Amino acid sequence: MIAAAAVLAQGGPVIPNFGRGDECARSNGKFCLHWFLDNFDNRFLPRVVEHIEMTLIAVSIGFVIAFSAALLVHRWPRGELWFANLASIFYTIPSIAYFQIMVAVTGIGWTTIEIALISYTLLILFRNTLTGLHGVPPETLDAAEGMGLTRRQMLTRVELPLAMPAIIAGVRVATVTTISLATVAAFITPLGLGAPIFSAIQTGANTDFIAAGVLAILLALIADLVIVVAQRLLSPWQRARGGAT
Amino acid sequence: MSDLLNFYVDNASLLLEKSVATLSIAALGLAIALLLALPSGVWLGHRHAGSFLSINISNAFRALPSLALIAIGLGLIGLSLINIELALVALAVPPILTNSYTAVDGVDPDAVDAARGMGMRDRQVLTKVELPLSWPLIFAGIRTASVYIIATTPLAALAGGGGLGDIIVNQPTYHLVGVIAATIVVVVLAFAVDGLLGLVQRAVTPRGLALPKELQTIVPAADTATTAA
Amino acid sequence: MSTRFMRLLILLLAVGVLAAAVGCGGDDSSSSSGGGGGGSSSSSSDQPGKGKPAVTIGTKDFTEEFILGELYKQALQAKGYSVNLKKNIGATEITDKAMTSGAIDGYPEYSGESTATVFGIDKIYDSPEATVADAKKHYEARGQVVSNPTPFEDVDAIAATKAFAEKNGLASMEDLKKLTPSFTLGARPEFKNRQVGLKGMKDVYGIDNAKFKQLALGLQYKALDKGDVDTANIFSTDAQLASGKYTVLKDPKGVFGFQNVLFVINKPKYDALGGTAFMDVINKVNTLLTAEAMRSMNSAVDIDKKDPAEVAKSFLDANKLT
Repeated sequence: MIAAAAVLAQGGPVIPNFGRGDECARSNGKFCLHWFLDNFDNRFLPRVVEHIEMTLIAVSIGFVIAFSAALLVHRWPRGELWFANLASIFYTIPSIAYFQIMVAVTGIGWTTIEIALISYTLLILFRNTLTGLHGVPPETLDAAEGMGLTRRQMLTRVELPLAMPAIIAGVRVATVTTISLATVAAFITPLGLGAPIFSAIQTGANTDFIAAGVLAILLALIADLVIVVAQRLLSPWQRARGGAT
Repeated sequence: MSDLLNFYVDNASLLLEKSVATLSIAALGLAIALLLALPSGVWLGHRHAGSFLSINISNAFRALPSLALIAIGLGLIGLSLINIELALVALAVPPILTNSYTAVDGVDPDAVDAARGMGMRDRQVLTKVELPLSWPLIFAGIRTASVYIIATTPLAALAGGGGLGDIIVNQPTYHLVGVIAATIVVVVLAFAVDGLLGLVQRAVTPRGLALPKELQTIVPAADTATTAA
Repeated sequence: MSTRFMRLLILLLAVGVLAAAVGCGGDDSSSSSGGGGGGSSSSSSDQPGKGKPAVTIGTKDFTEEFILGELYKQALQAKGYSVNLKKNIGATEITDKAMTSGAIDGYPEYSGESTATVFGIDKIYDSPEATVADAKKHYEARGQVVSNPTPFEDVDAIAATKAFAEKNGLASMEDLKKLTPSFTLGARPEFKNRQVGLKGMKDVYGIDNAKFKQLALGLQYKALDKGDVDTANIFSTDAQLASGKYTVLKDPKGVFGFQNVLFVINKPKYDALGGTAFMDVINKVNTLLTAEAMRSMNSAVDIDKKDPAEVAKSFLDANKLT
């Protein structure tokens, strides 16, 4: 307190004029476009980038794990229900709880977030890969065998390409789901588009709510679209049956 | 472990109260989603029309992040039950809509022909042939929807309160053991509701219809199987 | 067809590896290297932070803490320290646990919160100095070091709208007992069971007619305005209090304690960072933090919706600490 007295003796700290804020933001209008645009670069854009990063990592790693598991089960079918049941239990765990519990194990940060997000991708990616592989007509497999293809070649040249639509459909759902769950990650640390949302839960700032909400929705819809286009490009022989995914 | 058991003992009535609240919030969301998606899906499937529409509505709804919907609700109308219910309905509609459409649309055409041949009218074909054959897949969708809903209901604590989420978002008061305890209750509720719906499903499904492997886990594959091709 | 498929697989894996590499590079919510950007050779007295390990500072879950975190971070960076700021960790209980578990090295804590919530001491202290002394004693016994306290304090308080207070004759906490049969009190979840909270209100004032309504931190004023709650738990340096719309009830028995800010840090890290040389930077910031300074910074963030980092920067620049 003595040092404080010294400061106060010289008349206290210099308190700069921080500037009057945007009028719309001050009165907490529903959506303050001007404030949003002014703050987009430092407040929202980094969150979008983080969100995309979070999602890419989770879906990629989840895919590697689930895909490998599916290939294994395709070879040794006994394990299917076992893996599927394990992976499906994650769907009953509220993400906001899972993140907190993981903090106790791996701390506050990317590792925790990714472990949680990856867990949620496993079921869908596993399921769809398997469904895709199972969907290859037996006649096609017979023909391939007849042509002298080895098991490995059958897998890589026949089964997997034909399973592609189902696999990509799985990636699509996994991606969109991950984008949704990644918003909750901000509960434990302000990363991703959930950060302005949880901030707004404390400050009541409507623009934060709406901007982050809309950005998250846009991100999900765009990701969905991109994957659909990729799917069409990669399997042009699939004439969309009544616009099915 | 003993901490966990102690928590259950000390907070039994709190957990019970919150569970009831969670189930009510979830039930309301499921009911609205069923109302919106089940009749439409079944009817469109029956007419073999509108597949483009139903599939794309499902896809669009499925892409909507729950917390984003809640956030927009909070921004526009503030704290309210509507926020969480909106998010829950958006979650539940896709599996129910997709599955009911696909199920009814995909009923063996021979069976339908046979029914018509026997003189059944349109409505009867639906209720006596198509629906019974569709129940497994439809119920798979409803069960998936209910699991999604129950697991997401804790977010209600951010949007106006209610349910086990009040404990889960409140680690400062209930400590990690409380968060874990409440989470386990959520998981148990999800399994319980799934089991219950499974019983209902068994009751309405005609004997002789085997349950495919994909439908045997707590989150049946049906939601995803139909997204292929 | 198979080569196209192979290409896709490789692309996916490459994206995954790339994303993982980028992601793992940014392992903390916000990391930055030390300052001293001028490029001039720095004498160790000028840049005591050079060559020292990185320090991880955490902040609790409200505006004032965000600002404090930014103030410390930028002041330290200006002195060559490498700072990771983990923002918005949570309430006292969680943030303290983060420190004792090593997830963070230190954070700004309020003296009364330390004694009542961190150390569970049920006592009512006579003075800010007594509170600080006891907090310091307990922290040091547990393996932490504390800075000098700030001049300002930020205490919990109970507020009502001016209209409600006038209508019911509320000026002090004891007046709440007049509100029979009950009144609603809106507060963040942890307030309910705290000694510097509802529990203390019961024990010290005998207020048992309060109906607790859980509110997320930050929604109190909204709830008061809308009439969702009769009273709410607020902080005495909240920017919203300047509007004059609210009446803050006096706390003559001091149940909410004295709450000057102390920067607390684990001793081993403190030593590794250079001990007093490090703490000097923190203390220099603390001496500037008067109630007026804090309130105006809170106002800039909460009312004018400025970014806490910018507000902290303006303040430090104006006071020649950067």
